Amino acid sequence: MSKAPLTSSLDQDLVLSEFNDTVNNRGYVLTTLDDLSGWARSGSLWPMTFGLACCAVEMMQCAASRYDMDRFGLLFRPSPRQSDLMIVSGTLTNKMAPALRKVYDQMAEPRYVISMGSCANGGGYYHYSYSVVRGCDRIVPVDVYVPGCPPTAEALLYGVMLLKRKIKRLNKFSR
Amino acid sequence: MEKQGEFKSITLNFGPQHPAAHGVLRLILELDGEIIERADPHIGLLHRGTEKLIENKTYLQAVPYFDRLDYVSPMCQEHAFALSVERLLKCEVPIRAKYIRVLFSELTRILNHCLNIATQALDVGATTPLLWLFEEREKIMEFYEQVSGSRMHSAYFRPGGVAQDLPNGMLERIEEFVDNFPKILADTETLLTDSRVWKQRLVDVGVVTPQQAQDWGFSGPMLRGSCIPWDLRKSQPYEVYAKMDFDIPVGRNGDCYDRYLIRVEEMYQSIRIIKQCIREIPEGEVKSLDRKISPPPRVEMKHSMEALIHHFKLYTEGYSVPAGEAYAAVEAPKGEFGVYLVSDGTNKPYRCRIKAPGFAHLQGLDFMSKGHMLADVVTIIGSLDVVFGEIDR
Amino acid sequence: MKAKQLQKLSSTLQKEVGNDIYCDVDTDFLIVRLNNQKIITTLLSLLKDHPDFLCSILTDLFVIDYPEHTQRFNVVYNLLSIKHNFRVVIKVGIDDDNIDTVIKVHSCASWYEREAWDMYGVKFNHHPDLRRILTDYGFEGHPLRKDFPLTGYKEVRYDLEQKKVIYEPVNLTQEFRTFDFLSPWEGTQYVLPGDEKAKEQK
Repeated sequence: MSKAPLTSSLDQDLVLSEFNDTVNNRGYVLTTLDDLSGWARSGSLWPMTFGLACCAVEMMQCAASRYDMDRFGLLFRPSPRQSDLMIVSGTLTNKMAPALRKVYDQMAEPRYVISMGSCANGGGYYHYSYSVVRGCDRIVPVDVYVPGCPPTAEALLYGVMLLKRKIKRLNKFSR
Repeated sequence: MEKQGEFKSITLNFGPQHPAAHGVLRLILELDGEIIERADPHIGLLHRGTEKLIENKTYLQAVPYFDRLDYVSPMCQEHAFALSVERLLKCEVPIRAKYIRVLFSELTRILNHCLNIATQALDVGATTPLLWLFEEREKIMEFYEQVSGSRMHSAYFRPGGVAQDLPNGMLERIEEFVDNFPKILADTETLLTDSRVWKQRLVDVGVVTPQQAQDWGFSGPMLRGSCIPWDLRKSQPYEVYAKMDFDIPVGRNGDCYDRYLIRVEEMYQSIRIIKQCIREIPEGEVKSLDRKISPPPRVEMKHSMEALIHHFKLYTEGYSVPAGEAYAAVEAPKGEFGVYLVSDGTNKPYRCRIKAPGFAHLQGLDFMSKGHMLADVVTIIGSLDVVFGEIDR
Repeated sequence: MKAKQLQKLSSTLQKEVGNDIYCDVDTDFLIVRLNNQKIITTLLSLLKDHPDFLCSILTDLFVIDYPEHTQRFNVVYNLLSIKHNFRVVIKVGIDDDNIDTVIKVHSCASWYEREAWDMYGVKFNHHPDLRRILTDYGFEGHPLRKDFPLTGYKEVRYDLEQKKVIYEPVNLTQEFRTFDFLSPWEGTQYVLPGDEKAKEQK
């Protein structure tokens, strides 16, 4: 199956009906282990609640009834040991940086980080302040940057969808 | 059987990353079993240096910093800053702008109390109010977006008035929202107010006597929960609150349940105020006409030379505020939010002190949680309504 | 509260305390300029207990920094009286960067004084627990002083070799751009990067 996203709904229907036929007729489907693990990992990304500042409120709005994140498989987990995504939302200060790193280290591989908002991307509105880390990528490696101050809940949802595409594309099962 | 041996209390780190910590709170708790002996909050994990940054920016550039202080009720903070700058400038704010400010202040109050009740319910264990009340928040954020362009940090209340006029049809939409909102609130109340579990978790938890409330510098619902009828909108009215007809709910026992009831009732009263505003709002200007303070409309700027010069000077150098000091406080949803502004006559503030209600409230966590159990600390933090943006600044 | 009532309160307070203070009324505030920092606790307890004042709530306590004045730091106390509905602002200039704590009169002063110590370095005598509250755990310096630079001295990053967060001297890719608009005819006060040698050549 080609990895490019199918845009036309006719194409999508064609592929889906082919897939359904093979599963119904033969009872099995062929895929690669990479694709399968990519599908599983991106389909059930469990983020950890790491709300720091204003962006946390937009993250909550994203998880609430209108822009429901749960329908994409994102279930917020309080513990880093049980999650595979960390959404750094809000300003990261010098005092908080060691705690951020510690929490990141406690997450199990494969783990992903979304930097949400301009404060987490590069210091943002508080870039020149004496107590702010100029971007959370100085502390943890980031996969997707979501710009905005704060990014709207829709923008965060788009960022999450981009991360899912990235996981499907770059997923390697053997590490 | 006699207990032997010495007892040492456990020190527990209720860490900065915690789903119930309402942001970044590091609480060092000393526990004797499950009972709290001492609670020492470590704040400063969101200290961004706002006051220092404001000292290096012009007055107009400083306005968005206030949005980001208490980020669940953004416009009330801007309101305090706008009031204190106007006090120094001694400029007149048009009456329509005052009505718009009161309208949005009350919408912000509903926004804040929705989040507070929803997250407090989530911390205590009820998940449904969050889903219902956040949809109402979304509707109010839609209004924010229609009026200023941004869902949360609007930079709408500026010294001199408001940034732009309300779009067409806005008042009808707000009226429709306000007509439907009491039903949602009543539904949420059926889940919480009379629930046995909710009452068991909240009644007699975090009791604050009136003397303690005044001694520890509380304000807002914390003060009113302890039987002290003090509300800045009634006692030191600003904008057009003197013309509005509304009641102030006051609690009796000073526990978390009373404060919850006060917040729910305040939302009903806010709806009353909003309806009055929609009825009485006059037509007119929304910004001060003094071109040395508020910029001219863009159409005028493109046709008139003076308007162009005013626009240029205002957006590069900014207006200079006469030297002096002024303190303006508003009844923010969390308490009394005040801005003490010291100006030295230039275009940048000399010292802008931000008095946040959460700072004093969080100090009280120690005495409020003594003798309670660990789960009650979560309820108390929820009831204090603390937001670290304004505590740490 | 009306201006006349405030004037009366102002004269009452002036009579009660005497020469150590200077009272004034500014729109709806009572402004008290205190000359003797040693009587601050007695003044605040007087304001709290006297039946005409009853200022039971300490709304705010903070410091203003005037580097050019002889008394560099001014501590400001903002009090609120609920019973009589008025506010009092007390300003006191301090010598030697220390002043007595008012924690015995208003318990909420605890954290406000800790913040004043943290931000300005003003020491409060007899405070039970004077330590840093807002800045980082090992922070050096007092940030809100006028001579402390906006960007500070240290910044933070994670070091892969040492496997921990380390502190390094600040290195900004773009300096904070501040424009001096107040002197268009005299010329600017700031030196643009790269201009240092040009000044020497002149």
